[in-house]
Amino acid sequence: MSKYSVIGTRVHRVDGVEKVTGTAKYTFDMVLPNMLYGKILRSPHPHAKILSIDTSKAEKLIGVKAVVTGKDTIGKKQGIWRRFPELCDEEILCREKVRYIGDAVAAVAAIDEDTAEEALDLIEVDYEPLPAVFNPMEAITEEAPQIHEGVELNININRHLEWGNVDDAWKDCDHIIEEQYVCSSQAHVCMETHDALASFDHNGKLTIWTSTQAAYYIQVLAADMLGIREGDVRCINPYTGGGFGSKFELDSAQFCAALLSQKIRRPVKIVLNREEEFTATKRRTPMYYFVKLGAKKDGTMLAKEVRVITEGGAYTAMGATALYLTGFFSSFPYKYPNYRYDGYRAYTNTAPTSAMRGFGAPQSTFVGESMIDNLAEDLGIDPIEIRRKNGMTPNYVVPGQAWIQSCGLHECLDAIEKHVKERGKLPPNRGIGVSAYGFMSGGIFNWFDTPYAFSSAIVRINIDGKVDLFTGANEIGQGSNTTLSMICAEALGVKLDDIRIHSADTGICPPDLGAWGSRETLMNGNAVKRAAEDAKNQLIEFAAAKMGINIVYDMDIKDGWIHLVDRPERGVSYYDIVKDAIRGKDGEAIIGRGHYTPHRKGMISPAYSFGVQAAEVEVDPETGRYKLVNVTTAHESGTVINPVGIEGQLEGAIMMAGGYGFCEDQPMDEGKILNPSIADYKLIRALDMPETEILEIDTYEPEGPFGAKEAGEGLTNPTAGAIGNAVYKAAGVRIRHLPITPEKVFRALEAKKKQEK
Amino acid sequence: MSYHCPACNKVSHSSLDLARHMIGRGDKVHRDWIYSKGFKYSELLRLQIQSFGGEGFKALSDVLEAETKVED
Repeated sequence: MSKYSVIGTRVHRVDGVEKVTGTAKYTFDMVLPNMLYGKILRSPHPHAKILSIDTSKAEKLIGVKAVVTGKDTIGKKQGIWRRFPELCDEEILCREKVRYIGDAVAAVAAIDEDTAEEALDLIEVDYEPLPAVFNPMEAITEEAPQIHEGVELNININRHLEWGNVDDAWKDCDHIIEEQYVCSSQAHVCMETHDALASFDHNGKLTIWTSTQAAYYIQVLAADMLGIREGDVRCINPYTGGGFGSKFELDSAQFCAALLSQKIRRPVKIVLNREEEFTATKRRTPMYYFVKLGAKKDGTMLAKEVRVITEGGAYTAMGATALYLTGFFSSFPYKYPNYRYDGYRAYTNTAPTSAMRGFGAPQSTFVGESMIDNLAEDLGIDPIEIRRKNGMTPNYVVPGQAWIQSCGLHECLDAIEKHVKERGKLPPNRGIGVSAYGFMSGGIFNWFDTPYAFSSAIVRINIDGKVDLFTGANEIGQGSNTTLSMICAEALGVKLDDIRIHSADTGICPPDLGAWGSRETLMNGNAVKRAAEDAKNQLIEFAAAKMGINIVYDMDIKDGWIHLVDRPERGVSYYDIVKDAIRGKDGEAIIGRGHYTPHRKGMISPAYSFGVQAAEVEVDPETGRYKLVNVTTAHESGTVINPVGIEGQLEGAIMMAGGYGFCEDQPMDEGKILNPSIADYKLIRALDMPETEILEIDTYEPEGPFGAKEAGEGLTNPTAGAIGNAVYKAAGVRIRHLPITPEKVFRALEAKKKQEK
Repeated sequence: MSYHCPACNKVSHSSLDLARHMIGRGDKVHRDWIYSKGFKYSELLRLQIQSFGGEGFKALSDVLEAETKVED
């Protein structure tokens, strides 16, 4: 029997009814009195000087209330890596130069969307096109045009990791392989496009309702770009229709809506259309991987050297993090004694690349897991066995980088091995590929330079015992409101139904860094747990006094009963004590506070989850067409807070990561994305989904609330690698360029046939 | 033994680590120091990008070894 009352129970979302009945209000649905509609004019050129912008005709159009250009801004460049000013490189509304097709140059507010759209056509921008570069491998040559002044070879950022002695280790290797891979881009394809409703009042106070993953970041960044104080900006995140990494930086909808509202002092709402969503928001970072891997004959991996050049697009965004993490996770989940990573992010005249679910790790896992299978084959070792031989274990220290406390990788390998055996002898042209992975539970490095705790929460217990939980965490569809409510209920000893959560409103909630890097369960969960415990301890003080107990006894609250731990029958009602306690505090509600910032947990994250996935595919050897038959994942995420939530995360991850491995791509011509619509952008849809299975492995993470850690992004890491390995098993061709489309499989099969002849 | 960055005073445990820091940081003050020693920053980057082995770092670390070492 579980020691928990709420944790581990199968719970439907606390916001589920509102969402399935359509009553949940998203920014997209919101309307304010006197509200105007905004639209944004974007550059048709990948690289050009802005010679002039004439807005006079647009301003005269009936129904147009305001037009803004870069001249209406305070001329700042923004960036989310605030600790490094040289990485703040995006004006949002360009003043002198555009750097990709989609860069914003002007915005209009009008009485309706059609009028705003019509006004955009009346704005005349005189451009002087400049030479452009689209491929990062070309961008880093002397001949390439310079995209940002003073940035040599267009290298925006470089990151390096090294431990052991790689150069010496090669001499001890019995076998070394050297391979190149290309990882493609991917769009986030959120159901709700980027949108914002901004309203300046006449006292200069701004409220922004927006679809975001980090209300606190938007508050700070908007204030900075508008030249006002942080406290004068209130950012509210109503329900958010998906983020996946695309919505925690200040975007053009938020900034332009706020700037227009600042100018005209009326609410302005901007909703990006689907084409803008594809072309003028950030996307997954394409990466060019050069890897060398060496091992002993018995499969012990001795050294790995990784060189990566990433396509940065026009601006830095969260690219610095993706560049670092892809290097760090290239060593995962194995114990390389000697490792070297050199990563370079190149500016290009393409849509900026940034964070996307997995944050550089799906790319490194695809490459790493493909190469380990190749190495295993060369050495004649079973793919699961080579992973077992080198896999991370609990309390492993990644030299100079990370301390891994809980780790269930080996149990996951055992579970997947059993699963593969149970599938038995496969029909012809079928293959199962495996892929192992790990991921972080929130990031440690404070690149945003926040002075606040990474996560905080406030618990208020009201006279009837009901609890208001205030947290800056952002519910973006991942279920954090439910998870955090469950943690609060468990920690306080009340029912889930007693909790009412208020999240992601910077006007009433304490700051939190937001929903990215799989951080909410561990980081905000710890803050919520501590706040609930603070409130609980206050109640226990009153209860102990009232009961007159011997002070040697410990007390606890469970299921609304405040009792002695050793004699649970001796206690008092939680609801009665709440009333007494509030009276005893001169009528003040019981307030508990909690915060969490990781300390002494290395450079990357306070905890890591692990897993192994097996993908089964069936390939048609004549056409290269293949289908995903089954995807089974053995996964450990510490204590499972809500099993229903994890199942949802896993199914969604397979859809998204399967798409990355199988079909999603953003081909371009001279910097123009060629498939900017749902009709042309190929996703895995419900009917394409394979059979999926989750094998949950029990672990306990000492750093997590009730032993929990991440179960969000990590699940997207293994699938492309597992598919690649499965296609190789089924058809004998190794595809090193994502996505692994049937066309690429067909061409590889043709090449193989020719070679065999 | 420690190595102190001549631009920002960050302490590294080896001249190679310090070279990694200086090229990685890559802002004006770090680049200016690199230029003052007769290196071209872009040339060091190119050495790094073109091949395995960290040749760009090694070139800079030779200078740092002589100039930034501090006996603890």
